[in-house]
Amino acid sequence: MKFIDSFRIVWRNLWRMKLRTALTSVGVMIGTAAIVAMIALSLGLKANAVKSLESWGNLTELDVEPAFYIPEEDRVIPDDERKKLNMAAVQELKAVKGVAAVMPIKRIRGESKLKVGRREGYIELVGVDVRESAAYRKDEIEKGTYLTGAPQEVVVSYYVPREMRDVEKEKREARMRNANKSGGGGGEVYFSRRGGGGGGEEGPAPFDMVGKPATITLTREYRIDDELKLEKKDVRVRVVGQLQKSENFRYGSAVYAPLSLVKEMNDWLNRSRGEEFGDTSSRRSRDKNQDEFVFDEITVKVESREMVESVVSDLKKLGYEVWSPARELEQINKFFFVIQMILGGIAAISLLVASIGIVNTMIMSILERTKEIGIMKVIGATVYNIRWLFLMESGFIGLIGGMTGLGLAWGAVELVNYFGKAGGLMDSLGFGGGGEEMTTLAVIPTWLALFAIGFAFIIGLLAGIFPAIRASRLSALQAIRSE
Amino acid sequence: MANGMGELTVENVNHSYGTGKIKVPVLFDINIHIAKGEFVALCGSSGSGKSTLLNLLAGLTKPEEGKIFVNSEEISRFNENELCLFRRKCMGFIFQSYNLLPGLTALENVELPLIFAGESKKKRRIRAAEILEKMGLEGRLDHRPNELSGGQQQRVSIARALVNNPSIVLADEPTGNLDSKTEQEILDLMRQMNRESNTTFIIVTHEQEVAEQSDRVIYLQDGRVVQRRTKPA
Repeated sequence: MKFIDSFRIVWRNLWRMKLRTALTSVGVMIGTAAIVAMIALSLGLKANAVKSLESWGNLTELDVEPAFYIPEEDRVIPDDERKKLNMAAVQELKAVKGVAAVMPIKRIRGESKLKVGRREGYIELVGVDVRESAAYRKDEIEKGTYLTGAPQEVVVSYYVPREMRDVEKEKREARMRNANKSGGGGGEVYFSRRGGGGGGEEGPAPFDMVGKPATITLTREYRIDDELKLEKKDVRVRVVGQLQKSENFRYGSAVYAPLSLVKEMNDWLNRSRGEEFGDTSSRRSRDKNQDEFVFDEITVKVESREMVESVVSDLKKLGYEVWSPARELEQINKFFFVIQMILGGIAAISLLVASIGIVNTMIMSILERTKEIGIMKVIGATVYNIRWLFLMESGFIGLIGGMTGLGLAWGAVELVNYFGKAGGLMDSLGFGGGGEEMTTLAVIPTWLALFAIGFAFIIGLLAGIFPAIRASRLSALQAIRSE
Repeated sequence: MANGMGELTVENVNHSYGTGKIKVPVLFDINIHIAKGEFVALCGSSGSGKSTLLNLLAGLTKPEEGKIFVNSEEISRFNENELCLFRRKCMGFIFQSYNLLPGLTALENVELPLIFAGESKKKRRIRAAEILEKMGLEGRLDHRPNELSGGQQQRVSIARALVNNPSIVLADEPTGNLDSKTEQEILDLMRQMNRESNTTFIIVTHEQEVAEQSDRVIYLQDGRVVQRRTKPA
């Protein structure tokens, strides 16, 4: 028998008893709808929770610090036992399983100014290991390229070109405004203030600084005979790229430069200070620093989100403190696992009941169709043909239930999303961290839809096994004689 | 025992109904040979075992003792599924109460054996329509059984029995529900098909008219073959 023919026969039989088919599939429909709606809801809530965590930073990036305190032993770690973020630490972190890259960072928080053309602005210099970070930061480049490893290159964050001002121009405009103010009437003052001052109040227009030469000006201060002196040093660099807009505001006005360049600048800032003061203790510490260059931060990139938890626990064993939104993820995972187990249990029970309903319906229709089965057997249907037809029939009842259930769940999800959005349910549940990012409470991904339909079909098939075997075992002779 | 296509042999068959200790013997020591192309009537009063014998020949029941050969195959040793396949390939059935599927049209009823045989839709449509036309039902292809008269239903039933070109057709009281005029028409049709395609026909009947028009009549009484009459040529 051809598949398409068996399909036609099955369809005809289901259509013939359409009310019964519909009623039986309602059980499966409710079960499937329950599963889908609940999984969709828990997926949606989880996605929102993860999203709100992600706005605090990339979940696979961990910021590592030396641990100060061991909660298990209630002990503060003394200075000499405490981990140091040096090259040895970088090597140690690289060896941890699941770590894809170790990105040490050295910051210069002192007075550093970036000047491109006539624009200038204060920046935070961030020294990064070009080789380690390139793979992960490349994707975040909006314009130009990432650091290539050449010595005098820098990459700016999204906000840097938007915050740099043309100081000379603003001064000139301010002078013009002042001139207008003294010469014109009240109304004119109002207008000119609006027109001219707009740039100053709303922030400067962004400009493209990629590919342009720039100057970083470092300033150090020192005292000689209680007199404050400033010394400046210009470093010529080239802006090779600009990063994308980021949710992460931690690096607002950051300018990324190769570690070696930042180290050099850092040395200049420290050395002169120490030499100028002639302080032996600070010189000693400076010497020590040179032997053992200490980073400000080490960011560890984990291979995947699934690895994060194991990496975090490994790092803690080594004596590091880890800051990452991923630590919250652990709690969230536990919470949703429990929810999913409960909902899964409810759905399992309803589907069990539904499948018993299918078995019942199939046995009834076998009783009704006994004669028909007998005739089919006599005119050439094999045992397998009969079994297949009844198996398909109950599978189809499951399939119909699965599809209508999916539709029902979809409707429910749309409703929940609609009212959830209107009522601000997310905020009241405490998952509203993303603020404007919050979009949907529940989502039905394709895999869930396919899984639901497939699962319902399989439930139907399983429920059909016993009736199908029963049908195929009917004696043809007795079946024909029955009325 | 060597048999050709369309030949049928019953060897020393004994059969009884019931299970356990209470057994009702039905057939005793049956030995029959039917040659290819024969038109044989199985006659006898009710309870004589003629229907049981037909069921044995059809493989719907297994004989307690003895062997049954159809087309040189010992069907009494087949399992359920082998019997189904054998019926599909080699046998056609005609019932007293027609046994058409009420939900299907005449054409679809005739198509059904070909569907199980895996024939393509186009081929089986042509074949089913062709044989229904031979039965004189060319205008009734899309009628359902309840829209047809008894004689017409039996014609559909004959068409269904013949659609897969069986070597043997078994008929159980095919004219039992019909008036005498229709009975003759149906009988003529069966004889015509018997002659045209040299198909063996075995017909269970208790009607004298049917028996008289057969090549041979086998009389059964109380489970035994009591008389074999061959029609003078």
